[in-house]
Amino acid sequence: MKKFSSLFLTIIIFGLIVSLASAQTEPPKMQLPVLTTSAGQSADINTLNVVLEQAGVMYDYCDVPTVDMVKAGVGLGGQESGSGFHVEILTELDKYPKGTAFKSIILAIGASLKGMGASGLTIEDELKRVSSLIKYCTENKILIIAVHAGGESKRGADGSNNERMIDAVAPYADYIIAVKDSNKDGRFSKIAEEKKIPYSEATYALDIVTLIEQIYN
Amino acid sequence: MSREWIQKSLLICIVMTITILSGVQFYRHRHFQLPIVAGPGVTKVTMLSDYCQSLKGTPADTRVFFMEGAEEGGKTLIIANTHSNEPAAILAALIFIENAMVDRGSLIVIPQFNNSGSRNTKPGDGYVLFFDIPTEWGSKRFRMGNRNAAPLDQWPDPDVYVHYPDKKLFSFLDARNTNRTWPGRENGLLMEKVTFAAMELMRTEGVDVAIDIHGAETMFPVTNCIVAPKKAMRIATITSMIVNAREGFENHVEPSPKSFRGLSHREIGDFSETMPFLLEAPLPFLDQPTGPKTEALLLDGKDPFLLSLSKQKKLFVPYDSTGWSMEKRVGQHCSVILELMNQFSRRNRERSIIVSQVPKYAEIIERGVGFYYKDPDKADRERIYYN
Repeated sequence: MKKFSSLFLTIIIFGLIVSLASAQTEPPKMQLPVLTTSAGQSADINTLNVVLEQAGVMYDYCDVPTVDMVKAGVGLGGQESGSGFHVEILTELDKYPKGTAFKSIILAIGASLKGMGASGLTIEDELKRVSSLIKYCTENKILIIAVHAGGESKRGADGSNNERMIDAVAPYADYIIAVKDSNKDGRFSKIAEEKKIPYSEATYALDIVTLIEQIYN
Repeated sequence: MSREWIQKSLLICIVMTITILSGVQFYRHRHFQLPIVAGPGVTKVTMLSDYCQSLKGTPADTRVFFMEGAEEGGKTLIIANTHSNEPAAILAALIFIENAMVDRGSLIVIPQFNNSGSRNTKPGDGYVLFFDIPTEWGSKRFRMGNRNAAPLDQWPDPDVYVHYPDKKLFSFLDARNTNRTWPGRENGLLMEKVTFAAMELMRTEGVDVAIDIHGAETMFPVTNCIVAPKKAMRIATITSMIVNAREGFENHVEPSPKSFRGLSHREIGDFSETMPFLLEAPLPFLDQPTGPKTEALLLDGKDPFLLSLSKQKKLFVPYDSTGWSMEKRVGQHCSVILELMNQFSRRNRERSIIVSQVPKYAEIIERGVGFYYKDPDKADRERIYYN
């Protein structure tokens, strides 16, 4: 009986290792300039921006960019921060002058009613905005990176705001990154497997720094 | 002697006995003096009223400990016991006062910010009046205070508290809450004088970072977190990521709401150059659906009702039969404070603050909080300050 149990345990552990290895893939290479933004207006966009800062990757950031702003490229057409609207132009302008087309976009997924409210958005507005952005990026070969760094607190029941936001972004991404706590139910690894999207799982949000360093060299 | 007269006399005697017994306890609590041993890093001790004359001689005046490094640098202010019923704050502050060595810049600590609140209690909730922290030389006794200042010290309460300067309306109780009276005013209510004095301290001393330490219910969403306004958000975020990855505890970041006035993390940032942070550690003692508010609940945070609620996913923090101990709370505060200073220093080299000899989360959990307190009986008399 004991022998049978240990054999059974070994098979399970082996199976887990194999499934984990097959779920996670080699990170793809991405190019600059990059735009960071939020899908759902949660505070996880701050985590994403800090991750890029730690990785030494300079970026443009806007919490609610429109398709026209993305079309305008680096500098976002001269947009400035205002009430419920935040812009930061940190891209190295000597390498990528204003107007240079973005090569990649990183979306921090996480729905926050407080965050959306501050930007004057409902969940429907935000889903529509994010979908139009993704459509434009896909059509114009701007690679999309979906990041979920909020863990369990930014997950929810089927049909919840957080899950709808994941559905709006993750299946259309060119690369998905999630922290371990975000993928406890295998949500992101399943999407990646089904849609054949490269996927990386980070134990902690701080570990995303290494992944960003790798993809942007 | 009529039967009615005997009954009335007996009743008066019972009421008087209860009043005298409880009155003696409240008197002892209000007048209990906590000895604080100034550690080797403390270079001077002043009073908060040095920054606001109208505070001098009032029961709200409190001590300010300075630890100045040999090298010029930035300055950090640690504010503890803004709410005196959240005592992990003063326990963490005392670890800094009794142990910290500052090599560069300065550390300023106010261990009992709402001094009047620390001499108040909440009889309706059956609060304990004191709690003891075991140490290697015996136990160190602390007053368990209340959220608001004592009505004895700031009387009468207004019908509604009108915040200065924004004119937002708050409950009358918030007139005695030093986390609603920021930025304060020199000739306002007593608690407005306390916060005004702290603002003056930050402005005149050129404080770079202010950290206000709190505790919050496990059923309240703003718990186990760092609250920061936009200008302090990046430092709070990287601090949260680092303590999570390197020290193994979660401490998420909450943005400071712009329209909620009177809070330290809002007003300090808006009315000075200082970068404010407010730390919240889970405090099961404050939750409403708990058993009796005993010293054990305060120290170990174990409660069967919260455990049941946790199983129903009603809490905002992970909670199991191990509760949420004082060591965990104090350890989190010490680690987060050290990391906030470290991250500030990395971004502002010329204003960096280098502090050593302060234990972190894992060490405090392993050795206990009391391990870091000095025995006042063996300390130099001139280095003991009563608060």
